Amino acid sequence: MINHLHARLTYLTVLLLLAGIIFTTACNRSDSTGQSGEAAGEKLRIAVIPKGTTHLFWKSVHAGAAKAGQELGVEIIWQGPQKEDDRQLQIQVVQNFVSREVDGIVLAPLDERSLVPPVKAARNRKIPVVIFDSDLASKDYESFVATDNYAGGKLAAQRMAEVLQGKGNVIVLRYAEGSASTTARENGFMDGLKEYAPQVKIISSNQYAGATMEKAYQASQNILNRFSEVDGIFCANESSTQGMYRALQTSGKAGKVKLIGFDANETLLKAMQDGHLHGLAVQDPFRMGYEGVKTAVAVIQKKPYEKRLDTGVVMITKENMDSPENEELLNPDLDKWLEE
Amino acid sequence: MNITGKKVLSQFGPFLGLIFVFVLFSILCPPAFTSVYNIKTILTQSVIVGIAAFGMTMIIISGGIDLSVGSQIALGTVVIATVLNMGNTGAEMGFMWPLLAALAAIAACGVCGFIIGRFISRFTIVPFIVTLGMMQIARGVAKWIAKEQTVTTPPNWLQDLMLLDPQPEWLFFGPGVWITLILFVLVTILLRYTVFGRYVFAIGSNEQTARLCGIPVKYYKTAIYTFSAFFTGIASIMQYSNLTVGDPTAANGMELDIIAAVVIGGGSLSGGEGSALGSIIGALIMAVLRNGCNMLGLPNYVQEIIIGVIIVGAVLVDRLKHRIKA
Repeated sequence: MINHLHARLTYLTVLLLLAGIIFTTACNRSDSTGQSGEAAGEKLRIAVIPKGTTHLFWKSVHAGAAKAGQELGVEIIWQGPQKEDDRQLQIQVVQNFVSREVDGIVLAPLDERSLVPPVKAARNRKIPVVIFDSDLASKDYESFVATDNYAGGKLAAQRMAEVLQGKGNVIVLRYAEGSASTTARENGFMDGLKEYAPQVKIISSNQYAGATMEKAYQASQNILNRFSEVDGIFCANESSTQGMYRALQTSGKAGKVKLIGFDANETLLKAMQDGHLHGLAVQDPFRMGYEGVKTAVAVIQKKPYEKRLDTGVVMITKENMDSPENEELLNPDLDKWLEE
Repeated sequence: MNITGKKVLSQFGPFLGLIFVFVLFSILCPPAFTSVYNIKTILTQSVIVGIAAFGMTMIIISGGIDLSVGSQIALGTVVIATVLNMGNTGAEMGFMWPLLAALAAIAACGVCGFIIGRFISRFTIVPFIVTLGMMQIARGVAKWIAKEQTVTTPPNWLQDLMLLDPQPEWLFFGPGVWITLILFVLVTILLRYTVFGRYVFAIGSNEQTARLCGIPVKYYKTAIYTFSAFFTGIASIMQYSNLTVGDPTAANGMELDIIAAVVIGGGSLSGGEGSALGSIIGALIMAVLRNGCNMLGLPNYVQEIIIGVIIVGAVLVDRLKHRIKA
């Protein structure tokens, strides 16, 4: 029986091999016609490459890109690295899109240096690249569409000055060494605090939360044990805000210490409703996806576009979190754009 | 038909598999899939897994396994970056420092391989456990040296090894692809025509018999793991070239891709079987799959499922082969 199966398998493979040779040659011949068809004005194909695909943040980017795609009549190809946060796989995704000869690439680089060579290769083959979310070291791209993180930090400082009424001790828990976006937020916050509330004292600004919530939680516990006289805390991203919130909860200080964070998720919004969180600076991923695709299309069609586009930061507080526009920002109707 | 069928399948099985996936995707994909540039892309993308798979082939033929390869590659990139930064005076890097950095990475991996081999042969612990330990240790050491972040490096010639369009244009393929080809020839000669190669097969086929025949099994086991780690070191140079930074989190889980490449290529986890040709074809099959799925715009989960099916399918073919032989 096995022999029989075996023979059949071989037979099948040989057949497929033959079919393959025919098809490959056929494809090669149609190569030239395919390209001229594109030039005649087929739909533009824009590849959008996020850092990962499972986080809500990237789903919002996807929805924004899909919206722009529908409005402009271009095809959006959405593909992230196969494993989250794997530089090597993101490089391969960019390379594959270059091979595929898409008309434009919209990319959120996982690493500001590692993605430089593939982006350069894309531009060598006349494929325009728009960078979004975080920057690329080489600046060898058409446009950069992202949050102005420094301004976001300043906005958080303004809110901190407001809730502390201009006095008190403040801790800045930094995110991670070498992370450009969060460092800009932290600097913006500290400069802003000097401006809006010169009497507030920053008692600690050299501790790092680390990449995961678990690490952030431990770092937060340590820092809270060391400084008992603290009135306000600023954290520069989602995981460190959540880690700090957990630490405040377990030490019974939640609600007493004013906590201001960056980026939102369900836990943090619930904490805000409970009055344990006093402000969240929220970015607009939907707009990043939308503007990223729009800019790429503008570049291809040789229309004017901005070299640096700020997608804005909004300060969400308990008072304004239910307003219609903030509701739209925090719970965008993703299915409307993605399920069509 | 039956006898020729057996022969075809056992000798060219992986090769037919490669042709099958390639043909399948050239039917389904846009014409860009069969373009010269895309072929170059696929070849370049299989360099890292391919080179590491040469080393893994030797280990698997000898009846062992190495789970620490991914971590060793990460360690290698960090060592390269660190050595490069030592030699960085702000001026052009020149030729020697990058070469030294590359050799240091090969040496670092070689040390890992030597330790693994010594432990396996000296204390007769199964390779799975020893290399599982080394996987954690090498990853930890990489993070330690790198101070838990990526190590940036000045531009140097190592970064050009994996370019799709290499600088002297007559090279056509990136230097990495050529290096893979040279290593392939070397490993094939080594496994087929040298005493070392024969001993590797003998140990993998039946360790007891090999010992009774007078082969110094312990000595050779250490040599196999050390030698294969040199290939891991070369793979780490290619990984560095691709990333242009030393990254202690790089190649996480890549050992599974590498083992899969060897297994798809006809290597048997029970030892005694495998070839460099099969393994490089295995690596190519996976690169074609990734590239083709990207081209088709298939979501990531589809790619993962397909690769999984191919791995099991390849082992199934391997099983059929054995039953027929028996």
